[in-house]
Amino acid sequence: MLTSPKLDYALLAPILIILATAILGVLVEAFIKQALRARLQLTISLAGIVIAFEQLYRVRNQGSSMAAITSVSIDGAGIFLQGTILVLAFVGILLIADQDHFAPQASALPGSIEEAAALESGRAQTEVFPLTLFAVSGMMLFPVATDFITLFVALEVLSLPLYLMAGLSRRRRLLSQEAALKYFLLGAYSSAFFLFGAALLYGYSGSLSLNGLTDAIHGGGGNDVFLLLGIAFVSVGLLFKVGAVPFHSWTPDVYQGAPTPITGFMAAATKAAAFGATMRIFYVGLDAAQWSWKPIISVIAVVTMLFGAIAAISQRDIKRILAFSSIAHAGFLLTAVVSLNQSGLAALLFYSVAYGLATLGAFGVVTLIRDSAGEVSDINRWLGLGKKSPLIAATMSLFLLSFAGIPLTSGFVGKFAIFSAAYESGNIYLVVVGVLASAIAVFFYLRIILMLFFADASNDSVSVVIPPLLTRVAIFLSAIVTILLGLAPSILFDVAQNFAYFIR
Amino acid sequence: MNPYVPILVIGAIGFGFGAFSLIAAALTGPKRYNRAKAEAYECGIQPSPQAAGGGRFPVKYFLTAMLFIVFDIEIVFLYPWAVTFDKLGLFGLVEMFIFISTVFVAYAYVWRRGGLEWD
Amino acid sequence: MDVSNYVYLSALLFTIGAIGVVVRRNAIVIFMCVELMLNAANLAFVTFSRIHGNLSGQVASFFTMVVAACEVVVGLAIIVAIYRSRRSASVDDASLLKR
Repeated sequence: MLTSPKLDYALLAPILIILATAILGVLVEAFIKQALRARLQLTISLAGIVIAFEQLYRVRNQGSSMAAITSVSIDGAGIFLQGTILVLAFVGILLIADQDHFAPQASALPGSIEEAAALESGRAQTEVFPLTLFAVSGMMLFPVATDFITLFVALEVLSLPLYLMAGLSRRRRLLSQEAALKYFLLGAYSSAFFLFGAALLYGYSGSLSLNGLTDAIHGGGGNDVFLLLGIAFVSVGLLFKVGAVPFHSWTPDVYQGAPTPITGFMAAATKAAAFGATMRIFYVGLDAAQWSWKPIISVIAVVTMLFGAIAAISQRDIKRILAFSSIAHAGFLLTAVVSLNQSGLAALLFYSVAYGLATLGAFGVVTLIRDSAGEVSDINRWLGLGKKSPLIAATMSLFLLSFAGIPLTSGFVGKFAIFSAAYESGNIYLVVVGVLASAIAVFFYLRIILMLFFADASNDSVSVVIPPLLTRVAIFLSAIVTILLGLAPSILFDVAQNFAYFIR
Repeated sequence: MNPYVPILVIGAIGFGFGAFSLIAAALTGPKRYNRAKAEAYECGIQPSPQAAGGGRFPVKYFLTAMLFIVFDIEIVFLYPWAVTFDKLGLFGLVEMFIFISTVFVAYAYVWRRGGLEWD
Repeated sequence: MDVSNYVYLSALLFTIGAIGVVVRRNAIVIFMCVELMLNAANLAFVTFSRIHGNLSGQVASFFTMVVAACEVVVGLAIIVAIYRSRRSASVDDASLLKR
């Protein structure tokens, strides 16, 4: 007998508020006149995120309840990751607020009269705010979803706006559109793999939920071919989203082509969401079958860490360097996933905050260094920037040191937590490779810092623009948190440890 | 009685109505021929000519097609809802109302931003 | 007829789609291959739903259809934008980002 389901709106409130804010944003686009939109959209988006965070704070102690007919599990890790994503989205929107990065009218042909006219009239593609919020709602749903339908829908809700946002850059538009095309085609390809994997796992267990999958694995009796193929295909989809080798090839291209604030938001928030979901699927759904996937994921973690660190050395474009650095970080986070213990989960939660804010800050700095044609991402032209504007160069160095995992920054604490979790679970070789990869990575991070401070200024007319207020706030916030979590990590680490649990 | 008999009866009535309308119109209506009547029928709009250089459709068709797909596919969720409507009760009604209003928000956006204008 | 044949069929369709994405060069055709993969997954969902005798798989196929439609709209918008700015929908021509 069918009864009407209970959705537990109170527990879902943070996600629903973000979705409602995004829909409100669409209405603003429809009914408010052009001149007022940008400011209004910004206010609405930031207010929506703050209210959602407040609601999340309210439910924080109700962790360990299932909502929406057990499709969503509001547990410690889920709440922590949702909070992380909201914070990253807040800082990301401060960067996105600088409309100078976005095409005035994305439908106009690059270089056409329409485009020039749109630029002239001061139009702006303010749709980027609702698109960001739609992506955020998908990101918030992805790590708390406990069945494959919800996971797939959340995956697409977070991806589709990002595909579009990657193509919105104001300058070098062909490059940006190409990034959008690549991201879309490869993203759709990988989500098709995810879906087929979900279908096979459903064929194995007869249930779409992660709990049903665990029960079926414990009970045995299903067709193991479906189980193994299903795990493989679902992993392909997830590893693509997090940008792990061998599914990383989109990362440098998309990071380079997309508008820089979008790249920062995407790099930071997508990682938190996708690793949250990966951890939940492997931890809750597939833990009983870990003999089948743990060796392979460990190998992928090793290759990803090494590849990211080595490939970054030969790069000359700062956005590509940060992209390869994000691949290496994906490897570190995969190490936390295969640890499969509570400290691994706590490390992953802490790391997603530390890495996310440092990434947003670093891309925020990249938006500031420009010449007459726009952003300059070629690091050879950054030579001697430390003499022209020491504060900006010092901030960039701080973020790079955090990526490198130098003590007294948040990155060090994150890496230390991950390696100790891996050590605890007995994966000594992952610790060794991780430390090795970090050492290689230190080389190219330090090289950039040396270029900034100890090289003579090139006579290229690269200048640091006076940052718009909101960009300044975003960079400042990221820098403060990066230092604070390095000096006094226990502020956040204790919280992460308290919240590091999944419920079944 | 065989449950298919009413369907057959409905079919026969429908066919009869169609045939009656056509024959009645042919017998009683005035007959005037002009150019507009001889042209291809495209939902009442001016038929657009073939693009120069070989048969590519103008991009505005594509826009209309995309809008159609998005709004059309939402029907998928209405069918299961309609089947279980009396069991879901007020909850189902409220949820469906929310769902439809979000679709209308998208519609309002398309309409206000000129997505529905043909030229 | 044996229901498991539909599983083989869906695996076959999925493989055709997956290979098509890799070997074809036109963005539209690649995209059609991705849609074929999604529909193969749909067929698998419905078949398994029949085998297990519960409805979850059929519900999943509804959601897949809607998501696929949204993907079509976003994808075609991107492909049309690319085509309009360079008069070509070949993915080989989209190579500005290669070093």
